[in-house]
Amino acid sequence: MKRALGSKCFAALAAIVVVAPIMAVVPVAFSDRSFVRLPPEGWSLRWWHAFLSDPTWLQALTNSFEVAILSSLLSVTAGTAAALGMVELGPTARKFVTAVFLGPVVAPVIVLAVGLYALARSIGLVGSILGLVIAHTMLALPYAVLNIGVSVATVDPRLALAAAGLGAGSWRIFRTVTLPLILPGVAGGAVFAFVTSFDEVVLAIFLSGPRVKTLPVRIWEEIRVEYTPIVAVAATIMIALALCGALASRIVTRRPQ
Amino acid sequence: MNTVSFRAISKTFNAFTAIHPLDLELASGEFVSLLGPSGSGKTTLLNICAGFLEPTTGSLAVAGRDITALPPRQRNIGMVFQNYALFPHLNVFDNIAYGLRVRHVAKSEQLRRVQAALGAVRLEGFGSRSVPSLSGGQQQRVALARAMVIEPDILLMDEPLGALDKQLRKDVQLEIRRMHLAQPRTTLYVTHDQEEALVMSDRVAVMRAGRIVQIGTTQDLYSRPANTFVARFLGESNLIPGRLVEHGAERATIVASNFSAPIEGRAAPGLSRGGTAAAMVRPQHVCLTPGGVPARIVERVFLGEIVALRLVLADGLELWSRRFSSEAPIGEQVEIGWKREHVSILPET
Repeated sequence: MKRALGSKCFAALAAIVVVAPIMAVVPVAFSDRSFVRLPPEGWSLRWWHAFLSDPTWLQALTNSFEVAILSSLLSVTAGTAAALGMVELGPTARKFVTAVFLGPVVAPVIVLAVGLYALARSIGLVGSILGLVIAHTMLALPYAVLNIGVSVATVDPRLALAAAGLGAGSWRIFRTVTLPLILPGVAGGAVFAFVTSFDEVVLAIFLSGPRVKTLPVRIWEEIRVEYTPIVAVAATIMIALALCGALASRIVTRRPQ
Repeated sequence: MNTVSFRAISKTFNAFTAIHPLDLELASGEFVSLLGPSGSGKTTLLNICAGFLEPTTGSLAVAGRDITALPPRQRNIGMVFQNYALFPHLNVFDNIAYGLRVRHVAKSEQLRRVQAALGAVRLEGFGSRSVPSLSGGQQQRVALARAMVIEPDILLMDEPLGALDKQLRKDVQLEIRRMHLAQPRTTLYVTHDQEEALVMSDRVAVMRAGRIVQIGTTQDLYSRPANTFVARFLGESNLIPGRLVEHGAERATIVASNFSAPIEGRAAPGLSRGGTAAAMVRPQHVCLTPGGVPARIVERVFLGEIVALRLVLADGLELWSRRFSSEAPIGEQVEIGWKREHVSILPET
């Protein structure tokens, strides 16, 4: 009993250490002062008004949504194709391909950023939504492949044979048999890709331009100029979205029965 | 007319030959079982017929039309898998209707045919049930209905009863037989269970190591097995190994170490002088007769109306005898014999 109590205390402490810095930002967003102080001395929604009436913040938020949605669609589409294709490979080829797909996870992000920046500059993609979408798709794709791959592994390959035997072509088999069965993995991968893209900052800093920047990039720029609670408002929005994402992935990846 | 003919079909995987070139003909409406141990190539042959595997050589024709190059979806086959392979996200009705929707059958017609199929497998009213809520036997009957509802040219079944327990297996066996008799459909059935093959088939092809060892009616295989492998695989048999000393077209004789007199019997084709051979006697033909070969009873198994006796000969050879009644106790010395017409001399394999 003593040990159980001890480990509970330890878990609580760990949770506080991990969560406190994240949650500390929330009260700051409701401060009535022009500077960041904890705990805030007075409460107001003035920084929320400031955030919502500043077109540069709103544009950054919209950009973030746009990039996150597009890159999650792209990575899930490519991830589904990759996961389904990898099932057909032999064990050696599959190991090799898996390693290639995991590359972006293992490589230091700054290295990726430098490489991507050089490439994007040469074809004029710096400062464009498309450039950001491609970069974030690269980061999210490994997770999409892994997530969907887990779902694909649970699907009996004989189901596709059964459907083919009943006369279905490969597109119909995908649409009516494979996709419905791997949907939890696909949806999980999509949520994960969305969240990955939404809070990614390193690649975004390199690839953002004066007009096209994401919310994390805007926060970073703001902090370098002045440190006001408007940053906390942006951060609170991001936390809320991350929580929604986590919740959504819990719901979609939970299989019936 | 849905005859199926395999001509010189073979299959090799890298260096491994799964099927040596073989011919097989199924008459229209005939139920043929491929019977053999695992690895004998029976499932490979079935998958070639379904189009899931491409044969290395040879051709396959249905009703005279060459379908070797057709993909599975253009073959109009009904396939039943061992693990049912029902679509878990669809209910019973949608599973059965799958093949009809692919064929763009009108909604009202779908409804009528699925209901009829449910009736045929005695699952009326199960249409809206989910697949996981069904028992194994019910799932296999849904799989049967799904395969039959599309009116396939050929019905292919890959050990469909393998996952069921014994009693259920019997029920579904008889169910399949009943449906086949009601509407004969050319059927290729894969099994390693001799009883299944005997109950349902018009003909059985016994397979071993990628070859058809013997094909014939169940009666043929039982009373005239081609070799000791078939004799062991179908029914109970006593095999007495020996050396072939004489053989003609009809009769052959072997000398066996246990027996002072040579054993004579009906000759199976394929015997070769000097090769090893065995005399086969079914247990029901081994009698206890005075003046026969001495043996000792070492085991009695009560099987209801009959008793099985395990007998050991002087040098350790074991034989089984099935008697309607026998009071002979364990340990008793007896003398055994049989009629000459009940002996077959088979090549040993």
